[in-house]
Amino acid sequence: MGEEALDPVIHTQARLRIMTTLTALPDGDRLTFTKLQSLLDASAGNLSTHLRRLEDAGYVQVVKTHQGRIPSTQVGATRTGRRAFEDYVAQLRALLAPPTDPTDAQEER
Amino acid sequence: MVEDTPLDPVASAALIAEQRAKVEAAVEVDGRILFGAWGVAWLLGFGLLWAVNSGRLTMPDEAAFLAFTALLVLAGAVTAWHLAVTGAGVRGASARQGAMYGWAWFRSFGVVFALGVALDRAGATGEVMNLAMTVASLLVIGALYMAGGAIWEERIQWALGAWICVSTIAAALVGSPHMYLVMCIAGGGGMLAAAGVEAARRGRPRVL
Repeated sequence: MGEEALDPVIHTQARLRIMTTLTALPDGDRLTFTKLQSLLDASAGNLSTHLRRLEDAGYVQVVKTHQGRIPSTQVGATRTGRRAFEDYVAQLRALLAPPTDPTDAQEER
Repeated sequence: MVEDTPLDPVASAALIAEQRAKVEAAVEVDGRILFGAWGVAWLLGFGLLWAVNSGRLTMPDEAAFLAFTALLVLAGAVTAWHLAVTGAGVRGASARQGAMYGWAWFRSFGVVFALGVALDRAGATGEVMNLAMTVASLLVIGALYMAGGAIWEERIQWALGAWICVSTIAAALVGSPHMYLVMCIAGGGGMLAAAGVEAARRGRPRVL
């Protein structure tokens, strides 16, 4: 398996960081845009650009809602996104592990 | 966030580990803080109640009870602060779940309070009140810890709830004043032990 096999949507610093953050939450959970931004130390513009790319791929869902009168943008990983991230991690593990050692094929967590 | 630079697998793995740790520290409830705060409050609070009620320390009953309450309020404030910080900016399923669980605590203690009022009206003595309120409160705590452990599959929390139930059975059988000593050592000690187990669990390195 070559490195080119890694999902190009995820395989960049910024988007890998976003996907890691969102998939660290339990399924069905979302983060507010502000919280996500603070967890990533990202600028709003930069984050929006990468989120759009991930949203186009169907990996994240951006929900615009209101909390009382204050507009709130919430971001969560979709099922497709979680699956893609799991595949990405599995590929990464395979690339990092010596192919002969079966003990390295450990589950995450 | 750094602009997109090429990643190699080693860098990717490091980035995932680093970011996961950062997210967990920010949004996950930390058992070390919660069990630690309540452990100290119980150890000191029940310890004080025992010392005063068994005549080892001379202090007005009201003052001892006030100090005990203040310790619990302090632990409650630490809990509320920690849950507010970890829950900030998190929406969706677990936020709703957490809110329902929080209400379970609130309502259950409403029932305990009502029990106190009812017993007082029915002419219960101070001794009966102390016993009933202590055991009823501990029943709620033990049961909800076990329920919380079951909901979130947190073994430490479940085991702590089960341990609190066992300690409470012992405390109820021992009766006043030594039930306070049981809760000081077994209850408070159990909480602190749970905080220690949690700390050890977090110290273990994780694989990708």
